[in-house]
Amino acid sequence: MAATVAGATVLLHGLFWLAPGDPIDLLPNGPELRPVLEAEWGLDQPVGVRILRTLGAVAQGDLGYSLIVKPGADVANLAAKAWGKTLTLALPALALCVGLALLLAWRQDRPRLARLVMVSSATPGFLLAAALITLLNEGAFAGMEAGHWDRPGWFALPDQPSALRTALAIGVLGLSGGLLSEARTEAAGLLESLRGSAFIEAIAARGGSTLGPLLHNLLPPLLGLLSGRLVLVLGGALIVEKVLFIQGAGTLFWEAAMNRDHPLAIGLGIAAAALVASGQALCSLGRAALDPRLRRSGP
Amino acid sequence: MSGARLGAGVLGLLGLAWAASALSTYDVVADVHPALASRGPSLSHLLGTDHLGRDVLCRLWLGVRAFVGPGLIAGAVAGGLSALLGGLGALRPGALRAAVRALLTVVASVPRFALVLLIASIFGDEPAILAAAAGLAYLPALVEDIFARVAELEGADFVEAARAHGVPAFRVVAVHLLWVGCRHLILRHLLQLFAFVVVLEASLSFIGGFGVEEPTPSWGNMIAFELSAREGNLWAWLAPALCIQLAVVGTLLAAEGVRDGG
Repeated sequence: MAATVAGATVLLHGLFWLAPGDPIDLLPNGPELRPVLEAEWGLDQPVGVRILRTLGAVAQGDLGYSLIVKPGADVANLAAKAWGKTLTLALPALALCVGLALLLAWRQDRPRLARLVMVSSATPGFLLAAALITLLNEGAFAGMEAGHWDRPGWFALPDQPSALRTALAIGVLGLSGGLLSEARTEAAGLLESLRGSAFIEAIAARGGSTLGPLLHNLLPPLLGLLSGRLVLVLGGALIVEKVLFIQGAGTLFWEAAMNRDHPLAIGLGIAAAALVASGQALCSLGRAALDPRLRRSGP
Repeated sequence: MSGARLGAGVLGLLGLAWAASALSTYDVVADVHPALASRGPSLSHLLGTDHLGRDVLCRLWLGVRAFVGPGLIAGAVAGGLSALLGGLGALRPGALRAAVRALLTVVASVPRFALVLLIASIFGDEPAILAAAAGLAYLPALVEDIFARVAELEGADFVEAARAHGVPAFRVVAVHLLWVGCRHLILRHLLQLFAFVVVLEASLSFIGGFGVEEPTPSWGNMIAFELSAREGNLWAWLAPALCIQLAVVGTLLAAEGVRDGG
């Protein structure tokens, strides 16, 4: 995990240093900040020294400070709060995606269902989110015009937190972008191989219920499936949060990238890599705890 | 009609529309006709007009420029680099393959959209840069699958036979392992990458700030532009939305067909 975070730090900072010209020139307020930033970023130092300094700072939890979007604010704090908010969308979305995939995969020999899931889940996240929020807005407006109801709290107030938009974001993240279809295909493969295994066939032959043993043995590979999907859901959140006006890491990343607040964007990227690596490490530990064979051979 | 044929048909149509768009003399700035705003479908405008009176079908056609070229560039970047890295990993399976894997694990730990946005923010959001960034962001999935396939094939009879006949190692890797063993896999991934570029371009143009900006047409900015006007021609945003869905599904079906074909 530490190696992944260190690698992401070098990669993302490396991109910044590779930019044509001087990285300070990229900043809209670069000229006024130049004397401070030159010393702080060590631009007069060799690249190797800069990398070591940056890695040392990141190891101490120092991701620098925002220059434009939230001037002077500590990026590590901003990233922790923003990704925390995004995780409250991403984790339920992952659970929804994998749970539904398992349900859809349970009944075999349904190629039409598989094709329908593939076609519907290929819908891009932004499109599904935009279509849903537009339909809701139009419906609410029509109802208000006809006098059926008063203005709902979420209507036309994108800055206000809204449970409805949060629920929409969870649904869109879990069901769009091809995630559900891929998860269903993998879950169907897992189920097929488990159902064909000797111990499940033996239980079935004795007339016992195979549900419990199937679910128990599915858990470790399902954790693997979850860990592989985390980075995709976090990436999807970048788009969906922006479309649904949710103030999480996605929206903050957009603001940082559009305003060229590179320390903030890079800090958010490093934090994302740390989250993904932690999620994968946790899933590996969970798999090893559930499956004694993995404890012997390594995950 | 099988899914793969439908997918191939969609890709063929997109390719034709892209090639034909080179002949277009459409002026994206001059084509504004307020008197014709938000008209429904008619013989003179088959999908009607948007709220500036611009022909929806024409903009839909020219919107393919926004992603077909970048999709091909992304494919060239990912295809070229994956062949290079996959080949190096096959030639030197020890430390070099481990180093490439470690590097790609790092790239894969950053969400693709975040990596592309960061690169666009630093290096500029020209279509070629966005496309190259998309190719780089997709690379880990492709190379990881190439490594897995090469590991499967390394002990195969035809590879052993080629080595026993004294075929040079480079030729074994380039021809027997990569071309014979991995070309379907690479093509399938490149099609999935193309679908990713369609979604990426449409998402960026829809949200704005990066990607294709008005008045240049892109399916993403057509939807955003028309949704911002409360009343208008339904087809002005529904048609690009359906086209995005069709392009993505068609490309993924074609990719699935490649998988079925080996």
